[in-house]
Formats: sequence, structure tokens, C-alpha cells
Amino acid sequence: MRISTKGIYALEIITDLAMHSGEESLESLKNIAGRRGLSEKYLERIVKGMKESKLVTSVRGAKGGYCLARDASKITVKEVLMAAEGELAPVACLTKETDCGIDCESCPTRGVWGEIWEGILMTADSVSVQDIIDEVRRS
Amino acid sequence: MKISTKGRYGLRALVDLAANAQDSPLALAEIAGRQKISLNYLEQVFGTLRKAGIVRSVKGPSGGYMLGRDAAQITVEEVLRALEGEFSIAPQEPGQEPDLVQRAIQRLVWDRIDEKVNEILTSKSLAALVTEYQGLKQASDNMYYL
Repeated sequence: MRISTKGIYALEIITDLAMHSGEESLESLKNIAGRRGLSEKYLERIVKGMKESKLVTSVRGAKGGYCLARDASKITVKEVLMAAEGELAPVACLTKETDCGIDCESCPTRGVWGEIWEGILMTADSVSVQDIIDEVRRS
Repeated sequence: MKISTKGRYGLRALVDLAANAQDSPLALAEIAGRQKISLNYLEQVFGTLRKAGIVRSVKGPSGGYMLGRDAAQITVEEVLRALEGEFSIAPQEPGQEPDLVQRAIQRLVWDRIDEKVNEILTSKSLAALVTEYQGLKQASDNMYYL
């Protein structure tokens, strides 16, 4: 069971953006891409999802760029991962109908998958982007 | 982030085995029929479980599979480890030195999620899943007769 690279990069990107921007000092995707060693095209796709989820905002134009939509302490890891990955469910059948051959009502494993999902969401919800920045600065 | 097919079907089949094989071995065909999993696939999965000592096979005309030990002594964690390999939500790429940001995310996010998932899976025994399963079965049987 592993998270996709999209989720991994989303967390790195928002942390980098948070550390290099403010309301008065926007940051370009080009700079973030350079620091993170990612292509600008790929970065754009990930940032688009975070923009749609209202985690980051952008201003167009010559002096345009990106910054967080709210304080880093008010953005949780859960929100970032969900913007990049969707539901974070460990098995698809928790969020949509799938054809596995049996009814969910008599599935012997549905309970334990649900518990894992809850554990992941709870843990991701307990860490903010600010917590990550603090950890970076401590090291 | 997904549990593999092997993990999903394997655990399901194992709960079926634990719930239905009391003192005598169970034929895989029976589990395959009840759980709607192909027999071929189950044979592969049970080969893996047997190597891990979670089930054992009994040869002969009334042969089949039994649990390797008591269901209360088998955790979901060891079953999934046998079927999926080491459990990590964001395994570190070998040969790549993580930078400060990556290290912070590793400690604060991935390590904590791994710990939490491990805690859940280690505290859950196969016997607990069987109890849940039997409760579900009973509830749906009652529904049927009402």
C-alpha cells in the first residue's frame, strides 16, 4: 500500500511554496520547480488541484505568482493529500461500487479496511503545513 | 494509495478458511465458490500464506488447507506482510539522499501514518475478523428470513 508520487510531491511543493512566499511576495512555479527538481509542467498539474481545493491562490500578470490561500497552520496534510490523490481510501470499494463478487454487507474484510482508512485520515488531519515548516527549520 | 489485489482477496479467503475449517481441512474450491475468487488465483495466494506459516496444507482425498496456528495468534499485520511485503505508505527510493523538506515530511507524515496503520493491523487478530464476519452473516441471514 503506497501513496502516489502526486501526493508525495504535493506536500513538498506546498511546503516549499509556504517557505518562499507571502501575501505580499508571490512565488513563481518556475522557482519552485527549480528548487524541487521537478518539471514545471508536472508542477502546474499538481498546483492546479491545490488551487481548485482553495489551498493556494494565484495572481496573473507580470508581478503575478502563487501563495497559500490561508495561513500554513490552517492547512492540514489531509487537505493537501486529498487535493492531489482524492479519497485516500486503501481499497476502492470504500468509496465507490466495485465488482469483487460479493456483497459489502457480507464482506469479511470491509471493517478492517475502513479502520485503516480512518487511521490514515486522522493522522493526516493532525499535521499542518506549518508543522512541516517548523520541522524543516529545526533540522 | 491502495492495498493490492493479493492482499484484498487473500485476507478475505483466509477469514473464510478460519470461519469454516474447524477441525478438518477445507478444500480451496469451497472457499473459491463462497468468496467468488478464481481457484487458480487462490492456489497462488495460499502458496504464499503456506510459506509464511499462516496456513498448512493437508494432503489426501479429504485434504485441503487449515490455519497454521490458532486464529487468535495470527494478526492481520502478518497476513498482509506475507501477501504485500513490507508495509509503507511512501517507501524511500533507494540511492536518493532526501533533502530537508523530504526528511521533515518523512518524519511528520509518512512515518506517523505507517505507525498508525501498523498499530491497527497488529492489534487485530484473524479471530477478531472471524467474529465480525459471523456477526455480519447472521445479520444478513436474519434479514433474508424476515
